[in-house]
Amino acid sequence: MTGRRTGRALLASGLLLTLLATGCGVRPSAVITGRPPISGPAQGTWVYLVAQGELVLVLRPVNADPSPAAALSLLAAGPQENERAQGFTSDVPAGLDPVTVTAGAGRSGDLTVRANIAAQALSAHAADQIICTTVAAAAQVSAANTATTVAIVGSDGARGPRACPIR
Amino acid sequence: MTQWRRVGAWVSGLRVRLVLAFALLGVITTVAVASGSYFQARNVILQQAQDAAVMSLTDQLTKVYPIAQLPPNQDDLELLAQRLSDRESFAVVVYRDMRAQGGSEITDPLTPELRQKVRDGRIAWQRVSLAGQPALLIGTQLALDRPDGTSRPSGVEVYSVRNLVPEQQSIDQLATRAWLTGGLSLVLAVLLALLSARGVLRPVRDLGRAARRLGEGDLSTRLTVRGADELADVARTFNDTAGTLERQVGELRRLESDARRFVADVSHELRTPLAAMTAVTDVLDEEAEHLPGDAGRAARLVSQETQNLTQLVNDLIEISRFDSGTARLALDDVDVAAAVTATLRIRGWLERVRTELPPGVVARLDPRRLDVIVANLVGNAFRHGAEPVSVRLRADPDWVTIEVADRGPGLDPQVLPHVFDRLYKADTARTRSEGSGLGLAISWENARLHRHGERRGSLVAGNGTHGGAVFTLRLPRETADTGGAP
Repeated sequence: MTGRRTGRALLASGLLLTLLATGCGVRPSAVITGRPPISGPAQGTWVYLVAQGELVLVLRPVNADPSPAAALSLLAAGPQENERAQGFTSDVPAGLDPVTVTAGAGRSGDLTVRANIAAQALSAHAADQIICTTVAAAAQVSAANTATTVAIVGSDGARGPRACPIR
Repeated sequence: MTQWRRVGAWVSGLRVRLVLAFALLGVITTVAVASGSYFQARNVILQQAQDAAVMSLTDQLTKVYPIAQLPPNQDDLELLAQRLSDRESFAVVVYRDMRAQGGSEITDPLTPELRQKVRDGRIAWQRVSLAGQPALLIGTQLALDRPDGTSRPSGVEVYSVRNLVPEQQSIDQLATRAWLTGGLSLVLAVLLALLSARGVLRPVRDLGRAARRLGEGDLSTRLTVRGADELADVARTFNDTAGTLERQVGELRRLESDARRFVADVSHELRTPLAAMTAVTDVLDEEAEHLPGDAGRAARLVSQETQNLTQLVNDLIEISRFDSGTARLALDDVDVAAAVTATLRIRGWLERVRTELPPGVVARLDPRRLDVIVANLVGNAFRHGAEPVSVRLRADPDWVTIEVADRGPGLDPQVLPHVFDRLYKADTARTRSEGSGLGLAISWENARLHRHGERRGSLVAGNGTHGGAVFTLRLPRETADTGGAP
């Protein structure tokens, strides 16, 4: 009787000690997530290129003309030297320039990009590059947002409208 | 075995149980309080350190903006990493395949799950163990504001690796303090337990000692009543009980001694008339032969009964001496075999008794009392048992043993416990025996009168293996006269 009681007491204190010993010090933890990341202003024109199969944002030095058409001209020029060195490419054909961007209406989307290219033959990446770059530039001068859709009209007809997949 | 039992008794003793209970209580309380406050303090310390680190990183990163060039080149990343590194932490900046680290030799401190959370677009942090030291990893992307209030990830990830050793040290200090507090409280609990155990155990021990003394016959034992608790109540009850017991036993003793004194007085009073009667019966005895018929028989009967009465009165006087404690030993160095032979010869029994008396056994004892005992035992054997009667003497350095055996029917087991009682008649049908009924009682008292230190003479009755009664007299070889204690 006494032995069993003593045994139980020993067990209890042993458990407590174990708890205390294992809980000591600074233990590694799981990942703790906080608020959204730090955000700040960017200086320059937003242009979307392709790297390793996905769209990547690059900033080009501030241009005198912040219009979407000017941004699309930069896109049509393709990656610069340092960008190419880091493996950035562009699917957009150089024939995009000259280009006009107009506010569209109804079925044709919020914005319409017109250029002398084969719009149907554009790859998916190329279309997204054009759409995202257009929306980003339009946001600087007008009230375009992530939901803004863009239609691309080329020599063979219209494509879209569609919103930028990068949110 | 007995030692284990003693250890077991000690362990289950009140003192150990009290100490254990107090210690357990102290330990549990301390552990609960100390561990509770320890964990809370630890969480607070870590929380504060993490919040401060996140805040500091956020502050530093706001200075990076506005970002003018994307993608950055390796030099940009190195510069940023250097700017974000200080004495307590270093930064790792990652952009796609490029990576820059400011300070520290540790390669790749980042965990995959942390990078995943950061890439998913959250500030995230994690405590890890880096090179055996605790460290805090904080990671965030640099996002770019858009005019509509939303932001876009730039692809640049910044991680800050902060050493948590100072926090670890303060937490360890907390733990040390908790252990110290626990140890101190344990010591305090044990001390308190010992103190209270002493407070409880001392009256209990006193009570036990007093009860033992009372049991040994010291009826005047009393306890000092201290305080007004339950133990004092017990002590008071004990005292009352002992008082009542003492009064009643005293009363009984007084009655008994009165009765004994009465017997002694009566016996003494009877002596004088008996002496006169004996003188007359002596004359009658001489004349009895000349007296005719009934007168002669009557004279002889009166003479015989007078003798018996004289014997009874003498025995009663002897018994009353034992009772009053005035019986004294007349010690002498006695050759036991010779003394027994003399006893038998005087009574004319030497031819009828088988003796086994090795010579040269000398003992210091009272020869008259030895004579009384042996004569009584042998006489009883003749009267109540059957011949042959044997007397055997044995001796060892401490004891002299005399065994008187007969071949009669032996003693009834129901009679055995009362053989030495006064005036006990084994045969209830025989109301008058030839003896006084006091012979064995006197022999028993005589045997017990011989004592030396712890050794005390004894007379034991039993039955032999071949039937017949066996009386065994055992006397210490060296008897010291200690007075007439019964």
